[in-house]
Amino acid sequence: MVKPVYLSKMMKLFICSLLTCLICVSGTGVFANNTIDTTPLSTQKQALAYLDKQPELKASNFWPRVEPTLFMQNLRKNVVTPLSIYEGRSTNFCAYAALSYLPLHDDPLAYVTFMLKLYKDGKAVYGIEYFEPTKEVRRVAGTLNFKGELDVRPADQLWFLSLADHFKGYLNFLDNHYNPGDENKMWAAVNFAKFNRMVRNLFNYEVHAVGSDLLRPGVVDVVDYLSEKLQSGTVAMFVNNLDLYKKNHTKLKLGVPTHFVILLGVEEIEKDKIAITYWDYGFRSRQILSPKFLKKIIFGITHATKKTAGAR
Amino acid sequence: MLLKKQPVPGKIRHIVLLLCIVAMMCSCASRKVFSTNYYAENEKTLTSIEQLYKAIYAQKHFSVAFTDKSFEYISLEILTDSIKYIYEFNIKEPRLQDTLVKYGLPVKDFTDLITQMSSIHCIWINNLDYYTNNQRHSLVFMSIRHVAIHLPFTSEKYYILTFYSQPQFFDAEGNLLAGRRLRKLRLVNGDTFRRINDKVCYTISERFR
Repeated sequence: MVKPVYLSKMMKLFICSLLTCLICVSGTGVFANNTIDTTPLSTQKQALAYLDKQPELKASNFWPRVEPTLFMQNLRKNVVTPLSIYEGRSTNFCAYAALSYLPLHDDPLAYVTFMLKLYKDGKAVYGIEYFEPTKEVRRVAGTLNFKGELDVRPADQLWFLSLADHFKGYLNFLDNHYNPGDENKMWAAVNFAKFNRMVRNLFNYEVHAVGSDLLRPGVVDVVDYLSEKLQSGTVAMFVNNLDLYKKNHTKLKLGVPTHFVILLGVEEIEKDKIAITYWDYGFRSRQILSPKFLKKIIFGITHATKKTAGAR
Repeated sequence: MLLKKQPVPGKIRHIVLLLCIVAMMCSCASRKVFSTNYYAENEKTLTSIEQLYKAIYAQKHFSVAFTDKSFEYISLEILTDSIKYIYEFNIKEPRLQDTLVKYGLPVKDFTDLITQMSSIHCIWINNLDYYTNNQRHSLVFMSIRHVAIHLPFTSEKYYILTFYSQPQFFDAEGNLLAGRRLRKLRLVNGDTFRRINDKVCYTISERFR
Protein backbone atom coordinates (compact mmCIF):
# COMPACT_ATOMS: atom_id res chain seq x y z
CA MET A 1 0.00 0.00 0.00
CA VAL A 2 1.33 3.32 -1.02
CA LYS A 3 1.41 5.87 1.64
CA PRO A 4 0.03 9.27 0.72
CA VAL A 5 2.72 11.87 0.34
CA TYR A 6 2.07 14.99 2.33
CA LEU A 7 3.87 18.05 1.03
CA SER A 8 4.93 20.78 3.31
CA LYS A 9 3.62 24.31 2.75
CA MET A 10 7.03 25.47 1.54
CA MET A 11 7.24 22.57 -0.90
CA LYS A 12 3.81 23.46 -2.36
CA LEU A 13 4.89 27.04 -2.82
CA PHE A 14 8.08 25.92 -4.55
CA ILE A 15 6.21 23.66 -6.95
CA CYS A 16 3.70 26.40 -7.77
CA SER A 17 6.50 28.86 -8.49
CA LEU A 18 8.25 26.31 -10.67
CA LEU A 19 5.10 25.65 -12.67
CA THR A 20 4.47 29.38 -13.12
CA CYS A 21 8.01 29.88 -14.39
CA LEU A 22 7.64 26.97 -16.80
CA ILE A 23 4.39 28.42 -18.19
CA CYS A 24 6.02 31.84 -18.60
CA VAL A 25 9.10 30.43 -20.31
CA SER A 26 7.07 28.30 -22.67
CA GLY A 27 4.85 31.31 -23.30
CA THR A 28 7.85 33.33 -24.37
CA GLY A 29 8.88 30.51 -26.61
CA VAL A 30 5.47 30.41 -28.22
CA PHE A 31 5.52 34.17 -28.87
CA ALA A 32 9.08 34.02 -30.14
CA ASN A 33 8.12 31.53 -32.79
CA ASN A 34 4.69 32.97 -33.43
CA THR A 35 4.35 34.01 -37.01
CA ILE A 36 0.86 35.40 -36.40
CA ASP A 37 1.98 38.34 -34.28
CA THR A 38 3.81 40.05 -37.11
CA THR A 39 2.88 43.13 -39.07
CA PRO A 40 1.13 41.94 -42.23
CA LEU A 41 2.88 43.10 -45.39
CA SER A 42 2.01 43.06 -49.06
CA THR A 43 3.05 44.82 -52.24
CA GLN A 44 1.48 47.32 -54.59
CA LYS A 45 1.55 44.62 -57.28
CA GLN A 46 -0.48 42.21 -55.14
CA ALA A 47 -3.05 44.90 -54.36
CA LEU A 48 -3.43 45.86 -58.03
CA ALA A 49 -3.71 42.19 -59.04
CA TYR A 50 -6.48 41.76 -56.44
CA LEU A 51 -8.34 44.80 -57.82
CA ASP A 52 -7.93 43.51 -61.39
CA LYS A 53 -9.40 40.15 -60.40
CA GLN A 54 -12.59 41.72 -59.07
CA PRO A 55 -15.72 41.31 -61.17
CA GLU A 56 -17.45 44.54 -62.10
CA LEU A 57 -18.46 46.23 -58.87
CA LYS A 58 -22.18 46.79 -58.44
CA ALA A 59 -23.65 49.79 -56.64
CA SER A 60 -23.80 49.08 -52.92
CA ASN A 61 -27.05 49.21 -50.98
CA PHE A 62 -25.07 50.15 -47.91
CA TRP A 63 -23.33 53.15 -49.49
CA PRO A 64 -26.01 54.63 -51.76
CA ARG A 65 -24.05 57.79 -52.66
CA VAL A 66 -20.73 56.08 -53.44
CA GLU A 67 -20.58 55.43 -57.16
CA PRO A 68 -18.80 52.06 -57.81
CA THR A 69 -16.65 53.19 -60.77
CA LEU A 70 -15.35 56.23 -58.92
CA PHE A 71 -14.83 54.09 -55.83
CA MET A 72 -12.62 51.63 -57.73
CA GLN A 73 -10.72 54.46 -59.44
CA ASN A 74 -10.06 56.01 -56.04
CA LEU A 75 -8.79 52.72 -54.56
CA ARG A 76 -6.49 52.18 -57.53
CA LYS A 77 -5.15 55.72 -57.26
CA ASN A 78 -4.42 55.24 -53.55
CA VAL A 79 -2.47 52.06 -54.28
CA VAL A 80 -0.50 53.52 -57.19
CA THR A 81 0.18 56.94 -55.59
CA PRO A 82 -0.23 56.45 -51.84
CA LEU A 83 0.94 59.98 -51.07
CA SER A 84 -2.03 61.41 -52.94
CA ILE A 85 -4.61 60.48 -50.27
CA TYR A 86 -6.11 63.79 -49.20
CA GLU A 87 -7.94 64.67 -46.00
CA GLY A 88 -9.85 67.56 -47.55
CA ARG A 89 -10.00 71.23 -46.76
CA SER A 90 -11.44 72.33 -43.37
CA THR A 91 -12.01 68.77 -42.11
CA ASN A 92 -10.69 67.02 -38.99
CA PHE A 93 -9.53 64.02 -41.01
CA CYS A 94 -5.78 64.70 -40.84
CA ALA A 95 -5.08 61.88 -38.35
CA TYR A 96 -6.96 59.34 -40.47
CA ALA A 97 -5.06 60.46 -43.56
CA ALA A 98 -1.74 60.28 -41.70
CA LEU A 99 -2.31 56.73 -40.45
CA SER A 100 -3.32 55.67 -43.98
CA TYR A 101 0.32 56.20 -44.90
CA LEU A 102 1.15 52.87 -43.20
CA PRO A 103 -1.19 50.42 -44.99
CA LEU A 104 -0.86 52.19 -48.33
CA HIS A 105 2.92 51.76 -48.21
CA ASP A 106 3.31 48.48 -46.33
CA ASP A 107 0.13 46.48 -46.83
CA PRO A 108 -2.06 47.86 -49.63
CA LEU A 109 -3.62 44.42 -50.21
CA ALA A 110 -5.20 44.39 -46.72
CA TYR A 111 -6.44 47.96 -47.29
CA VAL A 112 -8.17 47.22 -50.63
CA THR A 113 -9.56 43.91 -49.35
CA PHE A 114 -11.11 45.66 -46.36
CA MET A 115 -12.46 48.54 -48.42
CA LEU A 116 -14.14 46.24 -50.96
CA LYS A 117 -15.69 44.10 -48.23
CA LEU A 118 -16.94 47.19 -46.39
CA TYR A 119 -18.40 48.56 -49.62
CA LYS A 120 -20.13 45.31 -50.58
CA ASP A 121 -21.31 44.10 -47.15
CA GLY A 122 -21.49 47.27 -45.07
CA LYS A 123 -19.28 45.63 -42.45
CA ALA A 124 -15.75 44.28 -42.33
CA VAL A 125 -12.82 43.50 -40.03
CA TYR A 126 -9.51 45.33 -40.14
CA GLY A 127 -6.79 44.09 -37.78
CA ILE A 128 -8.61 43.43 -34.52
CA GLU A 129 -11.37 45.95 -35.20
CA TYR A 130 -14.85 45.12 -36.45
CA PHE A 131 -16.42 47.92 -38.47
CA GLU A 132 -20.13 48.37 -39.04
CA PRO A 133 -20.58 52.06 -39.83
CA THR A 134 -23.77 53.79 -38.77
CA LYS A 135 -26.57 54.57 -41.20
CA GLU A 136 -25.85 58.32 -41.04
CA VAL A 137 -22.24 57.79 -42.08
CA ARG A 138 -23.16 55.36 -44.86
CA ARG A 139 -25.65 57.88 -46.24
CA VAL A 140 -23.25 60.81 -46.27
CA ALA A 141 -20.18 59.09 -47.77
CA GLY A 142 -19.80 60.26 -51.35
CA THR A 143 -21.63 63.53 -50.76
CA LEU A 144 -18.99 65.58 -48.89
CA ASN A 145 -18.18 68.66 -50.94
CA PHE A 146 -16.33 72.00 -50.92
CA LYS A 147 -13.29 70.15 -49.59
CA GLY A 148 -11.02 70.28 -52.63
CA GLU A 149 -10.01 66.97 -54.15
CA LEU A 150 -11.77 64.98 -51.42
CA ASP A 151 -15.02 65.94 -53.23
CA VAL A 152 -14.09 63.51 -56.03
CA ARG A 153 -12.55 60.76 -53.86
CA PRO A 154 -15.55 58.75 -52.58
CA ALA A 155 -13.44 55.84 -51.27
CA ASP A 156 -11.43 58.24 -49.11
CA GLN A 157 -14.65 59.78 -47.80
CA LEU A 158 -15.93 56.31 -46.92
CA TRP A 159 -12.62 55.36 -45.23
CA PHE A 160 -12.23 58.55 -43.16
CA LEU A 161 -15.90 58.61 -42.10
CA SER A 162 -15.81 54.94 -41.10
CA LEU A 163 -12.67 55.45 -39.01
CA ALA A 164 -14.11 58.54 -37.29
CA ASP A 165 -17.39 56.70 -36.70
CA HIS A 166 -15.69 53.65 -35.20
CA PHE A 167 -12.87 54.99 -33.02
CA LYS A 168 -13.76 57.23 -30.11
CA GLY A 169 -11.54 59.17 -27.75
CA TYR A 170 -12.25 61.65 -24.99
CA LEU A 171 -12.47 64.50 -27.52
CA ASN A 172 -15.50 62.80 -29.05
CA PHE A 173 -17.50 62.35 -25.84
CA LEU A 174 -19.71 65.36 -26.41
CA ASP A 175 -20.18 64.76 -30.12
CA ASN A 176 -20.11 61.01 -30.74
CA HIS A 177 -22.95 60.69 -33.21
CA TYR A 178 -22.61 61.90 -36.80
CA ASN A 179 -24.66 64.86 -37.97
CA PRO A 180 -24.16 66.67 -41.30
CA GLY A 181 -21.04 68.85 -41.13
CA ASP A 182 -19.51 66.87 -38.25
CA GLU A 183 -16.50 65.97 -40.38
CA ASN A 184 -15.27 69.51 -39.59
CA LYS A 185 -16.07 69.29 -35.89
CA MET A 186 -15.15 67.45 -32.70
CA TRP A 187 -16.90 64.30 -33.91
CA ALA A 188 -13.88 63.62 -36.14
CA ALA A 189 -11.20 64.93 -33.75
CA VAL A 190 -8.34 62.65 -32.76
CA ASN A 191 -6.26 62.85 -29.60
CA PHE A 192 -2.75 61.42 -29.41
CA ALA A 193 -3.67 58.21 -27.55
CA LYS A 194 -6.49 57.49 -30.00
CA PHE A 195 -4.11 57.89 -32.94
CA ASN A 196 -1.66 55.38 -31.44
CA ARG A 197 -4.47 52.95 -30.59
CA MET A 198 -5.72 53.07 -34.18
CA VAL A 199 -2.24 52.28 -35.55
CA ARG A 200 -1.77 49.36 -33.15
CA ASN A 201 -5.21 47.81 -33.55
CA LEU A 202 -5.61 48.21 -37.29
CA PHE A 203 -2.16 47.48 -38.65
CA ASN A 204 -0.41 45.61 -35.80
CA TYR A 205 2.70 47.78 -35.63
CA GLU A 206 4.95 48.08 -32.63
CA VAL A 207 4.13 51.61 -31.51
CA HIS A 208 6.35 53.68 -29.28
CA ALA A 209 4.96 57.11 -28.49
CA VAL A 210 6.32 60.08 -26.56
CA GLY A 211 4.39 63.26 -25.75
CA SER A 212 0.76 63.99 -25.07
CA ASP A 213 -2.19 66.22 -25.96
CA LEU A 214 -1.02 69.07 -23.74
CA LEU A 215 2.60 68.57 -22.74
CA ARG A 216 5.51 68.36 -25.13
CA PRO A 217 7.68 65.23 -25.15
CA GLY A 218 10.65 65.39 -22.82
CA VAL A 219 13.16 64.85 -25.59
CA VAL A 220 16.40 66.80 -25.13
CA ASP A 221 17.64 66.86 -28.73
CA VAL A 222 14.55 66.55 -30.88
CA VAL A 223 16.49 66.53 -34.17
CA ASP A 224 18.73 63.64 -33.08
CA TYR A 225 15.73 61.79 -31.70
CA LEU A 226 13.72 62.13 -34.91
CA SER A 227 16.70 61.21 -37.12
CA GLU A 228 17.33 58.08 -35.08
CA LYS A 229 13.67 57.00 -35.15
CA LEU A 230 13.41 57.54 -38.89
CA GLN A 231 16.15 54.96 -39.42
CA SER A 232 14.01 52.14 -38.06
CA GLY A 233 10.40 52.94 -38.82
CA THR A 234 7.68 55.41 -39.68
CA VAL A 235 7.42 58.59 -37.64
CA ALA A 236 4.19 60.55 -37.17
CA MET A 237 4.19 63.92 -35.41
CA PHE A 238 1.34 65.59 -33.54
CA VAL A 239 1.95 69.30 -34.07
CA ASN A 240 0.50 72.71 -33.42
CA ASN A 241 -0.95 73.56 -36.81
CA LEU A 242 -1.49 77.24 -36.04
CA ASP A 243 2.26 77.61 -35.79
CA LEU A 244 3.25 75.28 -38.60
CA TYR A 245 0.79 76.91 -41.00
CA LYS A 246 0.36 80.44 -39.79
CA LYS A 247 -3.35 81.10 -40.02
CA ASN A 248 -3.83 84.35 -38.20
CA HIS A 249 -1.82 87.12 -36.59
CA THR A 250 -3.26 86.76 -33.12
CA LYS A 251 -0.55 86.93 -30.50
CA LEU A 252 -2.41 84.82 -27.95
CA LYS A 253 -2.75 81.41 -29.50
CA LEU A 254 -3.94 78.22 -27.91
CA GLY A 255 -0.75 76.19 -27.49
CA VAL A 256 -2.22 72.80 -28.27
CA PRO A 257 -1.57 70.32 -31.07
CA THR A 258 -4.22 70.01 -33.76
CA HIS A 259 -2.58 68.33 -36.71
CA PHE A 260 -0.91 65.01 -37.60
CA VAL A 261 1.86 64.78 -40.19
CA ILE A 262 4.14 61.98 -41.33
CA LEU A 263 7.79 62.88 -41.02
CA LEU A 264 9.82 61.85 -44.06
CA GLY A 265 13.18 63.47 -43.35
CA VAL A 266 15.01 65.76 -40.98
CA GLU A 267 18.47 67.25 -41.41
CA GLU A 268 20.54 70.04 -39.98
CA ILE A 269 21.47 72.19 -42.98
CA GLU A 270 23.41 74.85 -41.10
CA LYS A 271 23.77 76.13 -37.58
CA ASP A 272 20.29 76.70 -36.10
CA LYS A 273 18.52 75.64 -39.29
CA ILE A 274 16.71 72.35 -39.66
CA ALA A 275 15.09 71.17 -42.89
CA ILE A 276 12.13 68.89 -42.28
CA THR A 277 10.31 67.01 -44.98
CA TYR A 278 6.84 65.82 -44.07
CA TRP A 279 3.67 64.57 -45.66
CA ASP A 280 0.21 66.05 -45.19
CA TYR A 281 -2.69 67.25 -47.37
CA GLY A 282 -1.76 64.79 -50.13
CA PHE A 283 1.67 66.29 -50.70
CA ARG A 284 5.24 66.29 -49.48
CA SER A 285 6.51 69.57 -48.01
CA ARG A 286 10.01 70.68 -47.12
CA GLN A 287 10.34 73.51 -44.63
CA ILE A 288 13.28 75.16 -42.91
CA LEU A 289 12.85 75.84 -39.21
CA SER A 290 14.98 76.57 -36.19
CA PRO A 291 15.43 73.65 -33.74
CA LYS A 292 13.75 75.78 -31.07
CA PHE A 293 10.66 76.32 -33.24
CA LEU A 294 10.54 72.64 -34.18
CA LYS A 295 10.63 71.66 -30.51
CA LYS A 296 7.90 74.21 -29.77
CA ILE A 297 5.41 72.85 -32.31
CA ILE A 298 5.84 69.11 -31.58
CA PHE A 299 3.58 67.66 -28.88
CA GLY A 300 3.67 64.00 -29.80
CA ILE A 301 6.00 61.67 -31.68
CA THR A 302 4.82 58.22 -32.73
CA HIS A 303 7.37 55.69 -33.87
CA ALA A 304 5.78 52.71 -35.63
CA THR A 305 7.94 49.72 -36.48
CA LYS A 306 7.02 46.49 -38.20
CA LYS A 307 6.74 43.45 -35.99
CA THR A 308 8.74 40.63 -37.48
CA ALA A 309 8.81 36.97 -36.52
CA GLY A 310 12.26 37.11 -34.95
CA ALA A 311 11.85 40.52 -33.32
CA ARG A 312 10.85 39.18 -29.93
CA MET B 1 -15.90 97.51 17.43
CA LEU B 2 -18.49 98.06 14.80
CA LEU B 3 -17.14 98.59 11.32
CA LYS B 4 -19.01 101.09 9.30
CA LYS B 5 -19.51 100.26 5.64
CA GLN B 6 -17.55 102.88 3.70
CA PRO B 7 -19.47 104.20 0.71
CA VAL B 8 -17.58 104.03 -2.63
CA PRO B 9 -16.87 107.56 -3.71
CA GLY B 10 -19.12 108.57 -6.59
CA LYS B 11 -16.27 109.49 -8.93
CA ILE B 12 -14.53 106.08 -8.65
CA ARG B 13 -17.83 104.31 -9.09
CA HIS B 14 -18.46 106.22 -12.31
CA ILE B 15 -15.00 105.42 -13.68
CA VAL B 16 -15.37 101.70 -12.92
CA LEU B 17 -18.82 101.69 -14.50
CA LEU B 18 -17.50 103.46 -17.60
CA LEU B 19 -14.62 100.97 -17.96
CA CYS B 20 -17.04 98.06 -17.66
CA ILE B 21 -19.28 99.52 -20.36
CA VAL B 22 -16.31 100.09 -22.70
CA ALA B 23 -15.08 96.51 -22.14
CA MET B 24 -18.53 95.12 -22.80
CA MET B 25 -18.95 97.18 -25.94
CA CYS B 26 -15.56 96.06 -27.23
CA SER B 27 -16.29 92.40 -26.59
CA CYS B 28 -19.71 92.52 -28.20
CA ALA B 29 -18.90 94.81 -31.09
CA SER B 30 -19.15 93.25 -34.53
CA ARG B 31 -16.50 95.41 -36.06
CA LYS B 32 -17.31 96.81 -39.42
CA VAL B 33 -13.76 96.10 -40.43
CA PHE B 34 -14.01 97.07 -44.02
CA SER B 35 -16.10 99.53 -45.82
CA THR B 36 -18.58 97.89 -48.13
CA ASN B 37 -16.95 99.93 -50.87
CA TYR B 38 -13.53 98.41 -50.25
CA TYR B 39 -13.47 96.50 -53.52
CA ALA B 40 -14.70 99.49 -55.54
CA GLU B 41 -12.12 101.77 -53.92
CA ASN B 42 -9.23 99.38 -54.58
CA GLU B 43 -10.48 97.59 -57.67
CA LYS B 44 -7.60 98.68 -59.89
CA THR B 45 -4.91 97.41 -57.51
CA LEU B 46 -6.81 94.24 -56.62
CA THR B 47 -7.34 93.35 -60.29
CA SER B 48 -3.72 94.11 -61.05
CA ILE B 49 -2.57 91.79 -58.22
CA GLU B 50 -4.88 89.04 -59.43
CA GLN B 51 -3.66 89.31 -63.03
CA LEU B 52 -0.01 89.47 -62.05
CA TYR B 53 -0.37 86.48 -59.73
CA LYS B 54 -2.09 84.46 -62.46
CA ALA B 55 0.66 85.32 -64.94
CA ILE B 56 3.45 84.25 -62.57
CA TYR B 57 1.48 81.19 -61.43
CA ALA B 58 1.25 80.05 -65.04
CA GLN B 59 5.06 79.87 -65.06
CA LYS B 60 5.51 78.32 -61.63
CA HIS B 61 2.95 77.28 -59.06
CA PHE B 62 3.39 79.20 -55.81
CA SER B 63 1.64 81.09 -53.02
CA VAL B 64 2.90 83.94 -50.89
CA ALA B 65 1.94 85.36 -47.48
CA PHE B 66 3.13 88.25 -45.35
CA THR B 67 3.79 86.86 -41.89
CA ASP B 68 4.33 90.01 -39.83
CA LYS B 69 2.46 93.22 -39.12
CA SER B 70 5.11 95.43 -40.68
CA PHE B 71 4.96 93.62 -44.05
CA GLU B 72 8.68 92.83 -44.06
CA TYR B 73 8.63 89.03 -43.94
CA ILE B 74 7.07 86.66 -46.40
CA SER B 75 6.36 82.95 -46.42
CA LEU B 76 6.84 81.62 -49.93
CA GLU B 77 5.50 78.22 -50.95
CA ILE B 78 6.81 76.86 -54.24
CA LEU B 79 5.17 73.77 -55.70
CA THR B 80 7.10 71.35 -57.86
CA ASP B 81 5.78 68.05 -59.25
CA SER B 82 6.81 66.09 -56.20
CA ILE B 83 7.30 68.47 -53.29
CA LYS B 84 6.26 71.82 -51.86
CA TYR B 85 9.11 74.03 -50.62
CA ILE B 86 8.23 76.44 -47.83
CA TYR B 87 10.60 79.35 -47.23
CA GLU B 88 10.52 82.42 -45.01
CA PHE B 89 12.36 85.56 -46.10
CA ASN B 90 12.83 89.18 -45.24
CA ILE B 91 11.80 90.88 -48.48
CA LYS B 92 15.14 92.75 -48.58
CA GLU B 93 17.22 89.59 -48.25
CA PRO B 94 19.36 88.66 -51.28
CA ARG B 95 18.44 85.02 -50.57
CA LEU B 96 14.92 85.76 -51.80
CA GLN B 97 16.11 86.73 -55.28
CA ASP B 98 18.44 83.73 -55.45
CA THR B 99 15.54 81.43 -54.59
CA LEU B 100 13.24 83.04 -57.16
CA VAL B 101 15.90 82.57 -59.85
CA LYS B 102 16.54 78.99 -58.74
CA TYR B 103 12.89 78.02 -59.19
CA GLY B 104 12.31 80.05 -62.35
CA LEU B 105 10.07 82.73 -60.87
CA PRO B 106 10.36 86.14 -62.59
CA VAL B 107 12.10 88.40 -60.06
CA LYS B 108 10.72 91.74 -61.29
CA ASP B 109 7.12 90.56 -61.54
CA PHE B 110 7.34 88.87 -58.16
CA THR B 111 8.75 92.04 -56.57
CA ASP B 112 5.94 94.06 -58.18
CA LEU B 113 3.41 91.59 -56.83
CA ILE B 114 4.54 91.76 -53.21
CA THR B 115 4.92 95.56 -53.40
CA GLN B 116 1.32 95.90 -54.59
CA MET B 117 0.14 93.39 -52.00
CA SER B 118 1.86 95.34 -49.26
CA SER B 119 0.36 98.63 -50.49
CA ILE B 120 -3.20 97.41 -49.79
CA HIS B 121 -2.31 95.13 -46.86
CA CYS B 122 -3.00 91.96 -48.81
CA ILE B 123 -1.37 89.23 -46.72
CA TRP B 124 -1.98 86.04 -48.67
CA ILE B 125 -2.54 85.03 -52.25
CA ASN B 126 -3.08 81.51 -53.39
CA ASN B 127 -4.65 79.38 -56.10
CA LEU B 128 -7.38 77.07 -54.78
CA ASP B 129 -9.03 74.21 -56.58
CA TYR B 130 -12.72 73.44 -56.32
CA TYR B 131 -14.99 70.90 -57.99
CA THR B 132 -18.36 71.13 -59.69
CA ASN B 133 -19.89 68.01 -61.30
CA ASN B 134 -16.61 66.18 -60.73
CA GLN B 135 -14.78 68.79 -62.82
CA ARG B 136 -11.83 70.61 -61.37
CA HIS B 137 -11.75 74.43 -61.46
CA SER B 138 -9.54 76.94 -59.77
CA LEU B 139 -9.92 80.36 -58.18
CA VAL B 140 -7.57 83.01 -56.85
CA PHE B 141 -7.89 83.46 -53.10
CA MET B 142 -6.77 86.75 -51.58
CA SER B 143 -6.77 87.85 -47.91
CA ILE B 144 -6.57 91.46 -46.77
CA ARG B 145 -5.74 92.47 -43.24
CA HIS B 146 -7.27 95.38 -41.43
CA VAL B 147 -4.40 97.26 -39.82
CA ALA B 148 -6.31 99.87 -37.85
CA ILE B 149 -6.18 99.81 -34.05
CA HIS B 150 -7.04 96.36 -32.82
CA LEU B 151 -9.78 96.41 -30.23
CA PRO B 152 -9.24 94.33 -27.12
CA PHE B 153 -11.44 91.23 -26.60
CA THR B 154 -12.07 90.92 -30.33
CA SER B 155 -10.58 88.41 -32.72
CA GLU B 156 -8.65 89.43 -35.80
CA LYS B 157 -10.78 89.63 -38.95
CA TYR B 158 -9.67 89.27 -42.55
CA TYR B 159 -11.36 90.43 -45.71
CA ILE B 160 -11.27 87.53 -48.16
CA LEU B 161 -11.76 87.90 -51.90
CA THR B 162 -12.20 85.05 -54.36
CA PHE B 163 -11.71 85.57 -58.10
CA TYR B 164 -13.30 83.02 -60.43
CA SER B 165 -12.62 82.41 -64.10
CA GLN B 166 -16.31 81.91 -64.94
CA PRO B 167 -19.40 83.82 -63.80
CA GLN B 168 -20.89 82.29 -60.64
CA PHE B 169 -24.46 81.78 -59.41
CA PHE B 170 -26.04 83.67 -56.51
CA ASP B 171 -29.29 83.66 -54.61
CA ALA B 172 -31.56 86.71 -54.24
CA GLU B 173 -29.54 87.92 -51.23
CA GLY B 174 -26.29 87.73 -53.18
CA ASN B 175 -24.93 84.58 -51.50
CA LEU B 176 -22.67 82.38 -53.61
CA LEU B 177 -24.36 79.16 -54.70
CA ALA B 178 -22.86 75.77 -55.51
CA GLY B 179 -24.25 75.78 -59.05
CA ARG B 180 -26.98 76.91 -61.38
CA ARG B 181 -29.39 74.15 -60.38
CA LEU B 182 -28.10 73.71 -56.85
CA ARG B 183 -29.67 76.10 -54.39
CA LYS B 184 -27.06 75.06 -51.84
CA LEU B 185 -24.56 77.70 -50.67
CA ARG B 186 -20.98 77.14 -51.82
CA LEU B 187 -18.43 77.15 -49.01
CA VAL B 188 -14.80 78.08 -49.55
CA ASN B 189 -12.53 77.14 -46.63
CA GLY B 190 -15.68 76.67 -44.59
CA ASP B 191 -16.99 80.21 -45.19
CA THR B 192 -19.97 81.42 -47.20
CA PHE B 193 -19.31 84.20 -49.72
CA ARG B 194 -21.27 87.15 -51.08
CA ARG B 195 -21.37 88.70 -54.51
CA ILE B 196 -19.26 91.68 -55.58
CA ASN B 197 -19.69 91.00 -59.27
CA ASP B 198 -20.30 87.86 -61.38
CA LYS B 199 -16.74 86.62 -60.90
CA VAL B 200 -15.65 88.15 -57.62
CA CYS B 201 -16.97 87.32 -54.12
CA TYR B 202 -16.04 88.35 -50.60
CA THR B 203 -16.39 87.32 -47.01
CA ILE B 204 -15.07 88.35 -43.59
CA SER B 205 -13.23 85.54 -41.84
CA GLU B 206 -11.16 84.87 -38.73
CA ARG B 207 -8.63 82.87 -40.76
CA PHE B 208 -6.67 84.28 -43.63
CA ARG B 209 -5.84 80.93 -45.27
